[in-house]
Amino acid sequence: MNAMLKTITVKAEVSRFNPETDEKAHFETFEVTGIENMRVLDVIRSIYEHQAPDLAYQFACRIGRCGTCAVKVNGVPVLACQETCKPEMRIEPLTPFPVLRDLVIDRTEVEERYANLALVPHRDHEHEGQPEAVAPDLAHEICRLDSCLACMVCVSACPAVEERAFDGPAFMLKLRQLAIHPADNMDRLSQAKEGGLVECFGCDLCTQLCPADLSPAQAIRDFRNDLLFGR
Amino acid sequence: MAAILPRNSTRQADALRYGNIARLTNRITGVVIVGFVTVHVLVQAMVHSGWFGEAVARSQFLLDLQQVPLVHAILFFSIAFHTLWGMKLFLGDLGYVYHYKTSLFVVGGIASLFALREALRYVGL
Repeated sequence: MNAMLKTITVKAEVSRFNPETDEKAHFETFEVTGIENMRVLDVIRSIYEHQAPDLAYQFACRIGRCGTCAVKVNGVPVLACQETCKPEMRIEPLTPFPVLRDLVIDRTEVEERYANLALVPHRDHEHEGQPEAVAPDLAHEICRLDSCLACMVCVSACPAVEERAFDGPAFMLKLRQLAIHPADNMDRLSQAKEGGLVECFGCDLCTQLCPADLSPAQAIRDFRNDLLFGR
Repeated sequence: MAAILPRNSTRQADALRYGNIARLTNRITGVVIVGFVTVHVLVQAMVHSGWFGEAVARSQFLLDLQQVPLVHAILFFSIAFHTLWGMKLFLGDLGYVYHYKTSLFVVGGIASLFALREALRYVGL
């Protein structure tokens, strides 16, 4: 190991749950030594490779683009591949989703909700000739909103999801992306209302924690503005 | 040259969750306001209507209770915070958006000034 790099020993409490043998999740403590700026995912992988080969976890890209490695670290939902490790960590699966095993959540309901929202442009009539012209600023905004990772960090952090009948910020953001799309003619505002648009507390936790630096709270505010003044 | 990613490392689990602090403070101050108004109305009703007899009507402590400096400071902070945070949320829906961290500090700061003013009154300043 490079002598310039400082090392750190991390004490990680990892949530373990095997549906075949456990009634409820419990924590197991592991110690991992590595470079000081290693990520939470590095810690989890080290545990899997050297201490607990039966640990279930998910990851794919390792560069914060796929959103599959999202977990809760010390109670805060983060992307494990981006979050710097801490000397003491409690690593849990995202809430409020059902847990399949250890750190892996069941995303079936999430995928079903996305599918039910029909998140592709819906036209009133058959597309003819050239596609609609999109102003550069609007195209930029649509692309920006499209960079949502669907990691569910915002949904996990959202207090309104916990307390009220609210689908969650991620779904509102995707609906907003379609609402401003010139080729889409579906009533996205009604979909947002059905998803609990008015239940949002406006706390901006989703904005603070979004790994893609998006603002689902702003998408919700824009929808509410449409609700007040029409669109 | 290594690829430069937009976000290479976060320390989000270390950060204060400003929105949660604001939301909980808003909720607590709301409860304080409702609680104070309820107690105030009940006390006034008891003292002035004589529902609970002469003993209650003559109980000076019920009136004194409403003049406790600390209660005033908490109440003034609560009213100011709850009102301003509510306005902030409504303004956001109208299109006037303020950053969540700045909003918390500004609203909390202004509300604290009301509490401080009340506290200073009772120490003679």
